[in-house]
Order: sequence, then C-alpha cells, then structure tokens
Amino acid sequence: MHPSSAPSTAAEVKPDFVEESLYEVHRKVHPRAVSGIFATWRWALVWFTQLVFYGLCWLPWNGRQAVLFDLVERKFYIFGLIFWPQDVIFLAILLIISAYSLFLFTAVGGRLWCGYACPQTVYTEIFTWIEQKIEGERNARIKLDAAPMSGRKLWLRSAKYGSWTLLSLWTGFTFVGYFTPIQTLWGSVWSFSLGPWETFWMIFYGAFTYLFAGHMREQVCKHMCPYARFQGVMFDPDTLTITYDTERGEPRGARKKGVDPKAIAKGDCVDCGICVQVCPTGIDIRDGLQYECIGCAACIDACDQVMEKMSYPKGLIRYSTEHAIASHWGWKEILGHVVRPRVIVYAVILGAICVAFVWGIATKPSLRVDVIRDRATLAREVEGGLIENVYRLHVINISEASHRYAVSVSGLPGIDMVGERILEVPAAGARSFSVQVRVPPDAGRKGSNQIFFDVKSLADEKVAVHEKASFLQP
Amino acid sequence: MQKILWVLWPSFIVAGVAEGIFFTVIDPQELYLFGEPVHFSKIATYSIGFFGFWVVCAASSLMTVFLQVGAAEVNKGVGSTSPGHDTTS
Repeated sequence: MHPSSAPSTAAEVKPDFVEESLYEVHRKVHPRAVSGIFATWRWALVWFTQLVFYGLCWLPWNGRQAVLFDLVERKFYIFGLIFWPQDVIFLAILLIISAYSLFLFTAVGGRLWCGYACPQTVYTEIFTWIEQKIEGERNARIKLDAAPMSGRKLWLRSAKYGSWTLLSLWTGFTFVGYFTPIQTLWGSVWSFSLGPWETFWMIFYGAFTYLFAGHMREQVCKHMCPYARFQGVMFDPDTLTITYDTERGEPRGARKKGVDPKAIAKGDCVDCGICVQVCPTGIDIRDGLQYECIGCAACIDACDQVMEKMSYPKGLIRYSTEHAIASHWGWKEILGHVVRPRVIVYAVILGAICVAFVWGIATKPSLRVDVIRDRATLAREVEGGLIENVYRLHVINISEASHRYAVSVSGLPGIDMVGERILEVPAAGARSFSVQVRVPPDAGRKGSNQIFFDVKSLADEKVAVHEKASFLQP
Repeated sequence: MQKILWVLWPSFIVAGVAEGIFFTVIDPQELYLFGEPVHFSKIATYSIGFFGFWVVCAASSLMTVFLQVGAAEVNKGVGSTSPGHDTTS
C-alpha cells in the first residue's frame, strides 16, 4: 500500500512514482446536537425500540419468558405461540414480509428505516447522547480531541468509554437473554457461574455494539451496509427524499438578519453550514441526493431553526420528491403521486403475504404425528395366526398444556392394536410410542396396504390427526 | 484495513444466514465428529458451527480479494527497467 516507505532497504532503486491510496482519508464526524420535529420522532423511535429490546425479555408469560428463542430445546416461544424447527416456513415468510415492508416504505418515503429505526442509527444516537453529556457539545468535543492528554481529558475519556462499556455489556446481556432464560442468566451473573459460551456471546455482541455505535458510526452505513448500496433501486422520481431546494436557496451567502434576499440578489441559504455540522454522515445535503444520506432529517430540523431566526419561510431543506421540486408541487400533489404502479405492486404482494402469514399462524396445528414403520421386523406372525407390524408414533404436542391423546387404527378388516391406547404428552413436548398393529392373515392383499392412525385429544376433539401408514402383508 | 473488512464483514453476514438455515434443518445432536456423536452442549455446537461457517466464508472472500488484484499491481516491479510508463496503479 505504501511503497514510498519500502525503498529504505534498497536505497539504490528509487521509484520515480509514488503510489497513493485512492480512498479518502477518514475524518471523524462530530455531529452537532439538533432539536426539532424529526429529532423528536427519532428519539421516540429510540425509546420505543429499546424499551421493547431491553424490556421484552423480562416479561413473563404462562410461567415462562414471553419471548424466548430457546436454542437448547430448539423451540421458539413468542407469547402464546411455540415454533418448532418444522415451522421454519413462518420464519421465511416473516423475512419476506420484512423485505417487502422495507421495499414499500423505501419506495414511498425513502430511507425511513435508516433514519429512524435501524439499530445502527438508534445505538449511534444513544452513544452520541452519552458522549455529548460527558464531553460537551460539538465544539467542546473537537477542542478536546485536539487537546493534549491531561487529567481532565483522561477523566472525561474514561467516563465516556466506561459508560459506553456498561451500556454495551448490558446490551450483550440482553441479547443473550433472548436465547437463554434471562432470569437464570441474571442469577448466574451474580453467582459467577455463567457458561463459557454465554459469557463469550455477551462480550462478543457487546463489543460489536461498542465498536459500531461508539467508533464506526457512519462508516457502517457508508461502507458495510448492503441495504445502503441497493436502496437506490427502490427510488423513483416520486419517492420522498431529504431535498435542498436549490432554486430557492441559491446563490447562497451570508447576510444580516432580516435582510430580504431579493434586495441583495441572493437565495434563502445563509450558508451557515449548520446542516453540514448536524449531519451524522458528514455530507453537505446542498450537493444533492447522495447515497451517504441516511435520511435522518437532522438537517431539516437545523435549517428550519435558522430559517425561523431569519424570518424566512421554513422548508429550504425538506422532505420532497424529484418531481415535486422540478414542478413546484405542494403536499397535495406529492401525496397524489404516492399511489403508483410500483407502490401498488409492493403493497399488493405485501398484503397477500401478510394475510397468508396470519392465516397460517391461526390455523397452525397444535398436534403433529409422525408414523415411522419399524424396519427391523417387516411383518411377523403372532399368537392366533394374526399378522403384526410394528410402528413408532412420534407425537408432538405444540400447545401450552399437557394433553392425553386416544390412538386408534383403521383401514383393514379386523385391524387392531396392542400397546398404549392413551398417550400422554407434556406441554410443548414430544414423545415416541411403540405400537403393534395386528390384522387377520386374510385381511387385505399381499404386499403393502394402506392403514390410518387417528390421534385425538381427549380434552378437545378438534385437536386430531389422521395419519396415513402402510401395513405389510406377507 | 479496508481489505480486512471486505474479507471479514460479508463472510460474517453469510455465516449468520448459513448458521440459521443449517441448524434449523439439522439438530446438533444428530451430528457426528470423526465417527463419534457430538457430545458438546448445544450452545457450544451452535457457536463452533457459526465460527466454522465464518472461517469458510472468510476463506472464500479472501480468495475474491486476492484475485481482484489488477494486472498492473501484479506486474509491478517486473518492468523496473522502464519504470514510470504506468503511474495509474
């Protein structure tokens, strides 16, 4: 990368060109704090998502954790629902729903996800808030960065990094608490009996939170996020984006308060640079739409405050669309263009998948039975000349209550079974039972015959499974 | 630094997806290690599995990064008798 430093070992060969990295040098972004309607929205989303994340794992439900992705038992509990590995289709559908929601929101409102709800944004917001509380506002932070190490700087830095570490560890603990019951986990923290892997994942997740939200921040959005790279394909000229009204703003320039821009032949932009200072990714929105813009609307809030001070109308930077800016549309026309083929297609697909998802969850069976023929003994003759086949019934009780099930068999004349006729399976449990099925030697034809097992709950006869099996007649 | 991220980051994401799919379909207790049933705890198996996937995916990304080196960079130093003809690298 830096061959200019290499020739020191071979002084006689001096290259007459110097290779330079094509990457721009990363400069640390010190976003200035901002207040306003969109900042309020972002904080509302921070509170909402983090109350859910930090709180939900402590919520009890039927004597267990309400939301628990129990990896050891291979069962996912979400309130009253229990998902087994067989239900992976629901996870797949959920991912498709998330993807289509993202497409739909992006097509209509641009990068709403990035600006308000993405964990990267949310944690950066929290970490920046801590930083600002400890080290002060933007200018104080820039000064502190440049200052040589001193007692005060050391104290401020330790306080900041310490607070970040505590928050990160708590985040890591909460994360692991969704996979291991959190009450037990909390107990083991205090008795120093955490498992090695639990400890590892807690620190791993915590360290990533610290690194991403504390140090990398906008770098993650700019260089690591795949969505940031392809979100552009969902955009069209009617998509809402954060837009600087060039026509109104230019030519920009400083002036005294209360000066009529027309009198000095200037636009409304006073070139105060606050929109650049508040930007968490460090761009200048006045250069037009850029892929680095995460759509956080901090520049809108900041510019509106300046416009208010200058007694100019707000909205020099605002949510608008390419068409709206070009044709001077108001909100009425913008909203009138929300419904368009792309949006309709996304909405229809999303709606259909959501309906299928809800229907699938609502009609999810609470009992599942697998019949496995015993392959060791195909068929044998037992007392009374009857022919016997042996099966294993694997009964999975997906409900939250233990159930007793009655088993019966049908499909051949004189068919009967030996073994347990009442099967008891605990809540959210699975058990295997051995069942011997016997028929008279003249029943059915030689070879394979179709028979049926019926497993019915004694408590609720709607909970029943009619399962096919084959009986081998020698 | 950028190249390290190119290797580690996409492989991390893909390893996460692979881990999810693999262990949804396969119960860790059905796995065999050198002919012996796996006797680690499930959490340990999941964790080792994840890092296994990550290493494999990282190896693939590493090769991609390796093969992306342009001709100019590979030729660098070979034509040192007439340097300066290519300053674009």
